[in-house]
Amino acid sequence: MISNSDSTAGLLQRVSAEAQKLPQAERRNFLKNGLLLAGGVIAGGALSANARAAAENLPPNVPGWTRSLGPGVLTEPYGKPSRFEKHIVRRNVPWLTADRIASISFTPLAELDGIITPSSLVFERYHAGIPDIDPEQHRLMIHGLVERPIILTVDDLRRFPGTSMIRFLECPANGGMEWRGAQMDALQFTHGMLSCCEWSGVALSTLLQEVGIRKDAAWILAEGADGSHMSRSVPLAKAMDDALIVYAQNGEPLRPEQGYPIRLINPGWEGNTCVKWLRRLEVGDQPWYHREETSKYTDLLADGRARKFSYEQECNSVVTYPCPEKPLREKGRYEVRGLAWSGRGKIKRVDVSFDGGVNWRTARLKGLVLPKALTRFGLEWDWDGGPAMIQSRAVDETGYVQPTYTQLREARGTNSIYHKNAIHTWRLHENGKVTNVQIR
Amino acid sequence: MSRFASGFLNGSPAALILGCCVVAACGADGAAGTAGDIQVTEFNAPVDQPAGHYGYGSDASDAEIAGWDIDIRPDGLGLPPGGGTVEDGEFLYEDQCAICHGSFGEGVGRYPVIAGGQGTLTESRPEKTVGSFWPYASTLWDYIHRAMPFAEPESLSDDEVYAISAYVLYLNDLVDYDFELNQGNLASIEMPNKDGFFLDDRPDVKNELCMNNCKDPAAIEITSEPVSLEVSEVSEVSEVPDVQVQSAAVVGKSPGESIYQQACALCHASGVGDAPILGERDAWAGRIAAGRDLMIASSLDGKGVMPPKGGQLQLSDEDIIAAVDYMIAQLAN
Ligand code: HEC
Ligand code: HEC
Repeated sequence: MISNSDSTAGLLQRVSAEAQKLPQAERRNFLKNGLLLAGGVIAGGALSANARAAAENLPPNVPGWTRSLGPGVLTEPYGKPSRFEKHIVRRNVPWLTADRIASISFTPLAELDGIITPSSLVFERYHAGIPDIDPEQHRLMIHGLVERPIILTVDDLRRFPGTSMIRFLECPANGGMEWRGAQMDALQFTHGMLSCCEWSGVALSTLLQEVGIRKDAAWILAEGADGSHMSRSVPLAKAMDDALIVYAQNGEPLRPEQGYPIRLINPGWEGNTCVKWLRRLEVGDQPWYHREETSKYTDLLADGRARKFSYEQECNSVVTYPCPEKPLREKGRYEVRGLAWSGRGKIKRVDVSFDGGVNWRTARLKGLVLPKALTRFGLEWDWDGGPAMIQSRAVDETGYVQPTYTQLREARGTNSIYHKNAIHTWRLHENGKVTNVQIR
Repeated sequence: MSRFASGFLNGSPAALILGCCVVAACGADGAAGTAGDIQVTEFNAPVDQPAGHYGYGSDASDAEIAGWDIDIRPDGLGLPPGGGTVEDGEFLYEDQCAICHGSFGEGVGRYPVIAGGQGTLTESRPEKTVGSFWPYASTLWDYIHRAMPFAEPESLSDDEVYAISAYVLYLNDLVDYDFELNQGNLASIEMPNKDGFFLDDRPDVKNELCMNNCKDPAAIEITSEPVSLEVSEVSEVSEVPDVQVQSAAVVGKSPGESIYQQACALCHASGVGDAPILGERDAWAGRIAAGRDLMIASSLDGKGVMPPKGGQLQLSDEDIIAAVDYMIAQLAN
């Protein structure tokens, strides 16, 4: 099948060519094996060598990497993940948008632990591609109903007193493909327009105090420096409450696709209000009603009216293990895990059901429980090998309980696109596979 | 130049405006809460500093502001002087917009439909367009000026934006063919759905915190499952079909291919505006015959509908050449 005389690059190419002939799911295992081969970890010829090699590396044998040296420091000056984790990538759904320039990619939630999303895996959403901005030549202009209109450099921004917050970021269209029914057979696509980072920057309130806001000020327009000049109206109250102008995420400078060199973060609010590549803040007395707050990001109800300025991301949760990407292998004891979050504050509690919502058990919240941040939960469960309908239901500190699909549809119909935060159901099959279903 | 006429068109939602300085309420400088044995200082913005306390940055001059201040409001604030007719707009629209949005605004392929759809908002497949959904005409002027045509934002003159906006309104049966749109009359155009929006009133649903026997297990019914289920049935670890795996490392994506995806696929994947489609030999035969040099020159300088460098001027000449070579290579397979 694959001869061992190939060069690594040639081998890789043949591995991927062979993989194309296989059904989707077998492909991943195949690729893993192929990559193992390509890396020269083992010397044998055909794929069966993989099994032999694995045995050679297991106790009582001592693997090759324990009896040799690895590459030295600075082999990867900015680091990168293990080559065995190549399947952990953002993915897109090609039919969602006309092209990749104004499009979206999804975070592989099933592969992540804890509450922090690595910068490289934060979902992407933009409208005119990723601008290639030289920070030296980038400016933030603040003007309008202010005493002193100013222009700031990125260095100026870094000089202001800094602050950092761990906050989730979610596109209001997260799960929007599921309003009419279950459509996407992977956690990455049902919930992956979601991530959580530590954001560092300067409080927007600090900047607004610095320029001196006039009395009649009530709204702020935030505008990006990309080709779409992405713009959103934000009430002054939010700007003065907890909004940030950030230059860093997870300790490193913002990634280009996340708004480098600076972006706005409105904690708990629709991701699109967190304007990236921020170039301008205009203070005014009325909202602007731009395209992204009229044509888009308004929620059409069954009666033909649409909710506007629906900024908050309401309380939501999802089980991340098991899920379609992470099936169960055999019956026995498991920790069922998941994520919960609310744009209105802290998660107070998460309940989990294994019988489609007939009976519920309260899960444990794990690690940090921060306001407007992803929160981990877990619950030990003995799987008897039978079919199950796994759900999670989160409650936030305002007492709001995550709703059912039936409740959401009764209130809003199915044309809303945005703000779908219904209790999600994974159907666990007897063979351990997990599929996405909706139940009544 | 003050942009803040005392407009009244859209009263600001009072409920959202709590006034100034609520910072203190959410944890002032140094305020700390404790959780177990960790100390949490959640938000430490300085409070109540006078304006100019830090004095960083430079004053923004009127000229600097004018260059960037492009926003338009429903009351017309921000509109520049000028105007344009439906007739002028028809020509410009055909030339610059129709390749994606269609001659009647019907949308080509997956590009947005921007006309029609009136009366469909309560239907099971509503068509949200400028005419059926948008509440204000100002949004149209603002958006075309800031973001269209897609590959060359901010390339239209103010008069051209007036003319094209007039034509899009005409395509939506909102103005007559002899109409001229200008700074004076734009704000007075009434859009059919102007009263179709209401302020956020959520939470609009209330779930109960039931723990036991919350419903009849026998009545539970699966209402939907993804149609792709049959496909993933064969799989051990289900991977969603239809997914484009973007891991460059696995498939060994070349620089030329990356540039192509980034800057050229927009038109050359779909054939929008009669762009020759990647890998379709007939479409490329004549160009190949004319030679690689000419193809590179067209790509660098633009040709017909194609803007220079596909509209991405930040790319180097080498990037573009790599993309052209990648496109040529696709004809060989
Ligand atoms: C190369 C294809 C292309 C061309 C040419 C183009 N557009 Fe667009 N247009 C798009 C895409 C893609 C979007 C959606 C962008 C997004 O969602 O961020 C869009 C969005 C729009 C919208 C908003 C649609 C909505 O429902 O919100 C309007 C209005 C519009 N374009 C008008 C124009 C006009 C007028 C022109 C000519 C001056 C033009 N476009 C040229 C691709 C194009
Ligand atoms: C906005 C749409 C658009 C984009 C983006 C675009 N092209 Fe084109 N391209 C076209 C069209 C339309 C033609 C046909 C032009 C003609 O023959 O009048 C074309 C023609 C070409 C040709 C043939 C030129 C010739 O001399 O006949 C090449 C080569 C080419 N494009 C390369 C590229 C590359 C490389 C990129 C990306 C860097 C790119 N294009 C981006 C629309 C586009």
